[in-house]
Amino acid sequence: MLASPAVRAAPSTLDLLLLPLHRLVWADPHRRARKLLRFAETEADGGRDLARAAELTFDPALRRLYLRHAQDEQRHADLFRRRGRELLSQPGSASKFEANWLAPGERGLDDLRVEKQSDETLLAFLHLSEKAAAGRFVIYRRVLQADPDTRGVFARVLEDEAFHMTYTGKQLARLSPRKHGLRLWQARAGRLWKTYLRLASAVASVFGTVMLGLQYFLLLPAFALVAKRAARREPPGLAPSRPPTPLQSQY
Amino acid sequence: MGGHASQTGSVGRLRILGISAHYHDSAAALLIDGVPVCAVQEERLSRRKNDAAFPLAAIEWCLDFAGVQPEQLDAVVFYEKPMLKFERILTLALRGFPRSWPAFPQAMKNALGGKLWVKGIIASELGVRGDRILFAEHHRSHAAAAFLGAPSRNAAILTADGVGEWATLSMGRGSIAADGTASIELFRELRFPHSLGMLYSTFTAYLGFPVNEGEYKVMGLASYGQPSFAEQVRRIVRRTADGGFALDLDYFEFHEGARRSFSKKFVEVFGAPREPWDPLDPQSAEGARFADVAASVQLVLEEVLVDLARSLQRETGLDDLCFGGGVALNGCANARILRESGFRNLYVPSAPGDAGCALGAALYADRLHFRRPHRPVPDHPYWGPALEATDLARIALEDGLELEQIPREPDLIACAVDHLCAGRIVGWMQGRTEMGPRALGNRSILAAPHEAAMRDALNRSIKYREEFRPFAPAVPIEQADRFFQLPSGGARLGRFMSGVFPVHREWRSRLAAVTHVDGTARVQTVEASMAPRFHALLEAYGARTGIPVLLNTSFNLAGEPIVNRAVEGYSTFRRSGIDVLIAGETVVRKRRHDLARLEEAIA
Repeated sequence: MLASPAVRAAPSTLDLLLLPLHRLVWADPHRRARKLLRFAETEADGGRDLARAAELTFDPALRRLYLRHAQDEQRHADLFRRRGRELLSQPGSASKFEANWLAPGERGLDDLRVEKQSDETLLAFLHLSEKAAAGRFVIYRRVLQADPDTRGVFARVLEDEAFHMTYTGKQLARLSPRKHGLRLWQARAGRLWKTYLRLASAVASVFGTVMLGLQYFLLLPAFALVAKRAARREPPGLAPSRPPTPLQSQY
Repeated sequence: MGGHASQTGSVGRLRILGISAHYHDSAAALLIDGVPVCAVQEERLSRRKNDAAFPLAAIEWCLDFAGVQPEQLDAVVFYEKPMLKFERILTLALRGFPRSWPAFPQAMKNALGGKLWVKGIIASELGVRGDRILFAEHHRSHAAAAFLGAPSRNAAILTADGVGEWATLSMGRGSIAADGTASIELFRELRFPHSLGMLYSTFTAYLGFPVNEGEYKVMGLASYGQPSFAEQVRRIVRRTADGGFALDLDYFEFHEGARRSFSKKFVEVFGAPREPWDPLDPQSAEGARFADVAASVQLVLEEVLVDLARSLQRETGLDDLCFGGGVALNGCANARILRESGFRNLYVPSAPGDAGCALGAALYADRLHFRRPHRPVPDHPYWGPALEATDLARIALEDGLELEQIPREPDLIACAVDHLCAGRIVGWMQGRTEMGPRALGNRSILAAPHEAAMRDALNRSIKYREEFRPFAPAVPIEQADRFFQLPSGGARLGRFMSGVFPVHREWRSRLAAVTHVDGTARVQTVEASMAPRFHALLEAYGARTGIPVLLNTSFNLAGEPIVNRAVEGYSTFRRSGIDVLIAGETVVRKRRHDLARLEEAIA
């Protein structure tokens, strides 16, 4: 049940279109378990970030709310972890495929640098993260018809998400009465930029891996032979310590 | 450093900054005229547990604290030799060809993407000249932290960790001549991949605990098991004729940089590994197997270390052993070394791991590079930021909590004792933050040590951790023998909580919250000269209850670093089952129902 009339959790159009895929991903109990355990980690990380935000803010109301939010996240982590473990204790095994890109949980909070955010930008970021996460949790709840216990976990988490969306929205409006809309757009742009950076660095990483992999197989074999031969000649056990080199040297 | 005046031993102020970074637990330490002024782990400031990033915040804090500008530094010493380390990484990739291919790109990206260019990073971040940037070898940094920080003028030195550049274990000796000239001579070493640290970490991973963090859990779990796999462990840790050992690499994969540190053959011997999220109950059949495996690797680790220490004692004929490196955090092994190796004293610094290398590297440069005469290093762990509790009162009042300011120390201590005697859990923050992984009375959670229920409550509502993990007791050093079976030198080893010793049988039931399942405890022996307020608290608690022992655990929640500032203590206090926060002279108590009402009203 969503407690707050102010903000409702609604899945995105994309997630609604991908509903059959979500259903498929969540069908396997062991995969479901691993996903819940991953969510538990994300929630716990998010809780730590919120605690940090509480430590840094000078606004007493925000501090209290961030602390409450941090405790909620910790409780969610416990709920996800407990249910994940219950599912894992059931017989069977899952495929390695987890489709985390499709069901990322409350992603975003984990790479947040709280120290670099003002209260306003943080609230805008939190508001969007909570909204996105809540939307996805609605979808997950919907595809888990056959698993009332896991569905129950999402229902309980969603109650808190509604509160989180409401308070972040209200507090943002309080701190930035004229510009809160702008702050939200800025946060959306920030999320898009981060997504682009993640994608770009993933592409760069793949490219780097391919280039280094090629070098590994093209350049290293001859040196590898020499290194293996040298290793065979090394006596086992203790060796005389390497004589100290000047501190200016990096060798 | 050719033309630098201070290299010749002139009398000017010499300011040396030590840095450890990039693997785990980065830190900075500042030495002025040979004496440490301050040191702090990056995680305490960044609030990211085991933060391995370049410790800019720690450096900035150290320089601010001492009022030193970067350009005034005579030297910045990094705790290892990056090129030598890169040589090892490359050599291992070559030796493991072609099986090392999955790890090779990532290893190269890590090294070439930053770790190799430490000199440039330091020069650009701090604006110091390149000729002032120095590099001490990893195990020499450990050796310096262990020996030059210890109250000994002639000592054998043993260092052991996962790996530095090539060395994983070093043996040697250190001495301070009458004129103060220091020397550190390392005779022998074991080289990667033959490593006690990696052996223990492999078992840590096998048992489903996070590496570099879960090693304590293996030690705690070991007490529940029997070393029934000891023979199997001994087979994979083959002893060599020279007293060293060689790992049978068929059982490991860490040296090839694989995602998993143990091989299929390892699993064939020890059984299926534990998944990190699986519950671990040592009473169940599966849990008992894991406990037996933990007990076995612990036993073999102790055997190897005791043998190495014994041979070192015979060779040097010295009374003192200084032990550094991450393996020196193993309190059970330390206690056995002290009992069985022939050394009379065992000195383990408060931060024997990589964080302590920041201080070790700086000391090494001062004594051995600049050849400055040795000066005793103050024998305490409190090198970090001091507590400033002024904000705490404001915050607590804003949140409508019960608040008291108690400026008189006896009254403050009486108040703390009242709460502890009433069974409340107290967050205790005083003075400067400890350097190292243990809270030693300045950033501690304290509780009455008598009931096992207290241990369970702490595990459940504060530390959120496995029930098999023990809590440590703190006791005034003068009374330690009354409760704990300390061997000669044991009280010293307990100074930084570095040894695990038996609790006297008659006290075990009355110290149930701090007595582990095997009847032992990781004791902190508190000396008034080192921690006067904490010592006075223990004495006052003893005067009230007849038992001057308190449960002392680090002031943090699972996954978080130990608190540093008062506001971090407050946040931890608010999010956990801690009942009372005492920071400096400020005492804050919770009124849960009021808080809940307030939050709902705001929302």
